Amino acid sequence: MNNASIGKMKSCLLLGVAALLCFFLSACAPKMITKGEKYPLMYEEHPASILILPPMNESTAADAKDYYATTIQEPLSFWGYYVFPYEITTELLKMEGIYDAELMKDLPLQKFREYFGADSVLFTTIKVWNLSYMVIAANLTVSVDCELKSTKSNATLWQYNGTVVVDLSGGNAGGGGIAGLIASAIVTAVNAAMADYVPHARRANLMALRSLPYGKYHHLYGKDQSQQFQEQFRR
Amino acid sequence: MNNLKIAVLIVLAVFLSACAPKQMYYWGNYSQSLYDAKKNPTEQSILTHQQSLENIIQESQKNNLRVPPGVYAELGYVYFRQNKKALAIQNFNMERRLYPESALLMDRLVNASELADKPKPSESIDLKNLNDKNK
Repeated sequence: MNNASIGKMKSCLLLGVAALLCFFLSACAPKMITKGEKYPLMYEEHPASILILPPMNESTAADAKDYYATTIQEPLSFWGYYVFPYEITTELLKMEGIYDAELMKDLPLQKFREYFGADSVLFTTIKVWNLSYMVIAANLTVSVDCELKSTKSNATLWQYNGTVVVDLSGGNAGGGGIAGLIASAIVTAVNAAMADYVPHARRANLMALRSLPYGKYHHLYGKDQSQQFQEQFRR
Repeated sequence: MNNLKIAVLIVLAVFLSACAPKQMYYWGNYSQSLYDAKKNPTEQSILTHQQSLENIIQESQKNNLRVPPGVYAELGYVYFRQNKKALAIQNFNMERRLYPESALLMDRLVNASELADKPKPSESIDLKNLNDKNK
């Protein structure tokens, strides 16, 4: 073979690979977007502090609210924000007669700037917090919507949903046949009884926070506009 | 031979310390002990959570880390509820010094502690009305 034909083959191959890649990416890859494109207000307002409001609970689990609230302060701090001590701020809000963030949706958020000195408030909504049984399997789902709003402009600065689904059926325990089915049903029941939502709520938080621009105590503060994350479409 | 081993160890140590990203905060057992105190609020679980707050501060200082946001304040609030007002004020001020973002809230809490410290027939503290007293 001479050099020319090798060159031709190479470019053909390259084209083929490129076409395949295009096809593959367009078909499978989730749409990626950068933090700067999606949340420009974060980079304009530079909120330094976040006040976490009591979660709103749309799930069927009454206790989800208290438990979920214990999981969010810590990861937010790692994102570089000053996070107000939740244990104190909820007490103070209770003294003001505010137990539910539902009641705050309509309040001018300026109040939180005046009372706490907060640059932004975080609304969280627990969408799903449950086990779903499917005869021989069970799924645990935790799904949380997060929305950060400015206390200056009331504008939404950042918004993302974190959802974690865990299969609790414990793998293919027991092998095939009726005996296997029974065995795996027992495993499922046992796992479900011990199901602890909190570690999964933590994972859901981390998933949501991935798209949150960093705050002033993080070394990437103001430098992460081009970081990409998976875009979500509101249901 | 021994010298070689030591040299390798030193090189490794230098290499690892240079590469490992320094952890930003030490939160210790915080979210677990808080969760336990919420799930089953007994004297013991509440005390355990207080200890995990104290432990975070100790470990952070030992490792030259910034104490995470809210920890001094929360510990101060624990003291506040135990009527240890001086300790409460001390911790609120630490939070304020470390995180200027907390100034407004910490001032409020320091004021509440000082007011509560004065001899009163009842020791109940009305944080709600503090707002008006400040004006």
